[in-house]
Amino acid sequence: MMELLARYESTPPRPLNLAQLLSYGNPTTPESVLSSGSYALAELPRRLATRVRALEALPFIVGTNPYVTKTLNAFKEGFQWLAIHPPVTNLRENGAFVEQLAALVQRHANDIPTMAKGFQECSRYMSPTQISDFLDGTIRNRISIRLIAEQHIAVSQALDFPGNSTAYVGIVDMKCSPKSMIKMCGSYVTELCEATLGGSPAIMVDGYIDATFPYVPVHLEYILTEILKNSFRATVEHQAKLRKSGVSSSTIYPPVTITISPPTANGAEGATYLSMRIRDQGGGVLPSNMARIFSYAFTTAGRGSESNSGDGGGPYAAQHIGGSASVGGDDDDAGNANIFGEIAGKGLQTGMGTIAGLGYGLPMSRLYANDDTADICKRYFGGSLDFFSLEGWGSDVYLKLRCLDEAGDSTI
Amino acid sequence: MFKSGNGHLPIVCGIKTIRRAIQQQSSALLFYQNRQLELYASKEAKRLTLRQLVYFGRHMNEERLITSANYVRTELPIRIAHRLRDLQALPYVVVTQEGVAKVYELYWSAFEKLRNYPKVTSLAENDRFCQFVGTLLNEHAPVIPNLSLGLSLSSPHLPPDKLDSFMRRMLISRISRRVLAEHHIALSDTFSGRGRETNGEPHVGIIFTGLNVKRSVERCSRLLKESPLWIMSSSGPSDSSQLPDVEVNGHSSTTFAYIREHLEYIIFELLKNSMLATYSKHQNESSTPSIQVTIVAGEHDVGIRISDQGSGLPFHDRLSKASDLFSFSHVRNATRLEDSRLGALRTASENGLRATVDEQVGNWHKAHAQDPIAAETTSSELLHPRIGIGLPMSNIYATYFGGTLDLVSLDGWGTDVYLRLPKLGTNLEGIEV
Repeated sequence: MMELLARYESTPPRPLNLAQLLSYGNPTTPESVLSSGSYALAELPRRLATRVRALEALPFIVGTNPYVTKTLNAFKEGFQWLAIHPPVTNLRENGAFVEQLAALVQRHANDIPTMAKGFQECSRYMSPTQISDFLDGTIRNRISIRLIAEQHIAVSQALDFPGNSTAYVGIVDMKCSPKSMIKMCGSYVTELCEATLGGSPAIMVDGYIDATFPYVPVHLEYILTEILKNSFRATVEHQAKLRKSGVSSSTIYPPVTITISPPTANGAEGATYLSMRIRDQGGGVLPSNMARIFSYAFTTAGRGSESNSGDGGGPYAAQHIGGSASVGGDDDDAGNANIFGEIAGKGLQTGMGTIAGLGYGLPMSRLYANDDTADICKRYFGGSLDFFSLEGWGSDVYLKLRCLDEAGDSTI
Repeated sequence: MFKSGNGHLPIVCGIKTIRRAIQQQSSALLFYQNRQLELYASKEAKRLTLRQLVYFGRHMNEERLITSANYVRTELPIRIAHRLRDLQALPYVVVTQEGVAKVYELYWSAFEKLRNYPKVTSLAENDRFCQFVGTLLNEHAPVIPNLSLGLSLSSPHLPPDKLDSFMRRMLISRISRRVLAEHHIALSDTFSGRGRETNGEPHVGIIFTGLNVKRSVERCSRLLKESPLWIMSSSGPSDSSQLPDVEVNGHSSTTFAYIREHLEYIIFELLKNSMLATYSKHQNESSTPSIQVTIVAGEHDVGIRISDQGSGLPFHDRLSKASDLFSFSHVRNATRLEDSRLGALRTASENGLRATVDEQVGNWHKAHAQDPIAAETTSSELLHPRIGIGLPMSNIYATYFGGTLDLVSLDGWGTDVYLRLPKLGTNLEGIEV
């Protein structure tokens, strides 16, 4: 095992080339599927080796934490399986490979909440910087691993079931519609909000409402849901506060307005981006709290090292959509209400921190502080997210999502 | 100026030659006179807060007014001295450039005059002092465009960071001196009953204690819509109905204590940008989407958000950070070296530029009153000076008492600008000590 690791470690992963990744699904043929398989087998072990090494480099005491150990072992297993896997030479072998690959992805679905829980318990052994540096690296790595794996699974399935949506190239929907995604996420968040807070604002969509762009729908779904959760909760709570202090007697919640801007070329780069602005009247964020929004929010959560088995894990566990809030991995509907309760208790950092934390590849800019280190020119896979607030009124979130067509030279 | 008579010409030449000779002589003299400057430059500038300025001005009597005069008299040369030292530290090739040289000269002359001005001991002397300072301010009107021009031309000799920070310090100091001087002049006017036209709005000196933000926004947008600027510019709308409306929402009755000139300059510039962008994007459509201004009274700040549908920042600016748009350096913002801009700067240098709304409006009316046809040729530079100074100046005004200015572009749709100004008046002036 050590030698295997050493061997893969010595050749660092090549940057992920999006065009190449998409090319395996466009068109989808037996040959392209097999090429995709070879690509996956070549790239995945290297990236998993990086993960293993990073975990092994953590302080010993941290490594003995059961959650961290669990994650490390899962990665080691995955790495080993992939590293010694023979080349996939025909579609039958690919079928078996894909099945196992899918199971692997599923096994790692809860990595972030698990690690978060572990780190929370280890917070006194690592500095916040150490933790966030580690998580940053993990998350970037994670995006690329999932992309490669999921893309291969998707193109393999597309070959088997060609009737399915021709608008898809693997996991990329070439005509992803923000309007439909907003509708879907909106209704989920509305139900959640009604159930836990007793009311919810309406969503208004304006701008180029019929715009579509090539993107990975599940990413957008996740991002939108997180942002909407924040906006909804803030709106309801702020309105309640205004009512209580007699400032307002209205029973209507000011709507959350989402403005869609069409895919637009960005400077000389050649890439196009679709932008969205989510505007609420949720009272805004105090300047002193702005920094927390983008942090991984371990120390501010106010949760001690006591662990409630189901809903611990800091922000991450709470945010795992459609899955479990616990490390055990059970999928519980009632758990949804708990998730929201968690959010309500934690404040804004859960939403924003987890968008960063769950690695949807959105570098955060904190322009309020005119932070020069916030590099909004760094265009990598997902795009960027900017957050502005009018303290006492509401907040605006600006999403800039890169169109995932083959134009442009996107690498991770 | 010299209209007729050949008799004048030899004298003009004569004066020029003599002046040049004096300059050469005086710059040599200046080197050895620098000790005086260094003395002043070694003193720290006394920074004030808005609150202090208001408080001091509220309970005016003769004694306090005279104290104020002497405070201004001694503080101004200190602040000028700091900037002179800054100028002296720039590369020789930069300060001998057109524009920068003129500014140096102006500053030196102001320094000498101020430090030699006798102490003020009576109201009559204060009146004379106010007149003196007022004249000085007028003489310094060409500073901004001259400096901007000179520095743009000097960009090859100065790294962008240095250029930006130098320009910033110069402009901030300039604002601070104007604040001091104008506040004192306004206080003197009030005291001696020469009260200015303020439409009954309560104020102490130049600080309006109940500045109604919505009213300022409406005033600026009305001025913009009524301006002959648009009519004369070939790329502008043919009448004001094509310009977007400005709708105000949020805490519309928000008031706070601030220098009205500063607030309105920023709003004016921002609305100007929004109107131009919105008009350009929608000129061929039947209606123009309005500009939304949201006013918010927060705990510590007054927030103003201006949202337009002008399709966002221009193409070449999209990769910029907001800080680049506020930069004076051509490295950060290539448009600064465009010929049209440099030309506009040169024209402005001759006429002066105070960076106030009144000044811009005054210029428009002045040109409009002239023969419109002849004015059209000069109009494009004078009226529509895309000098590119609006955003950087707005940023400096905004940050002067500790506020912020941020820009976000929703590419393809519009731009949002966030202006935050502190409302408690407890922040110190942002000048260097």
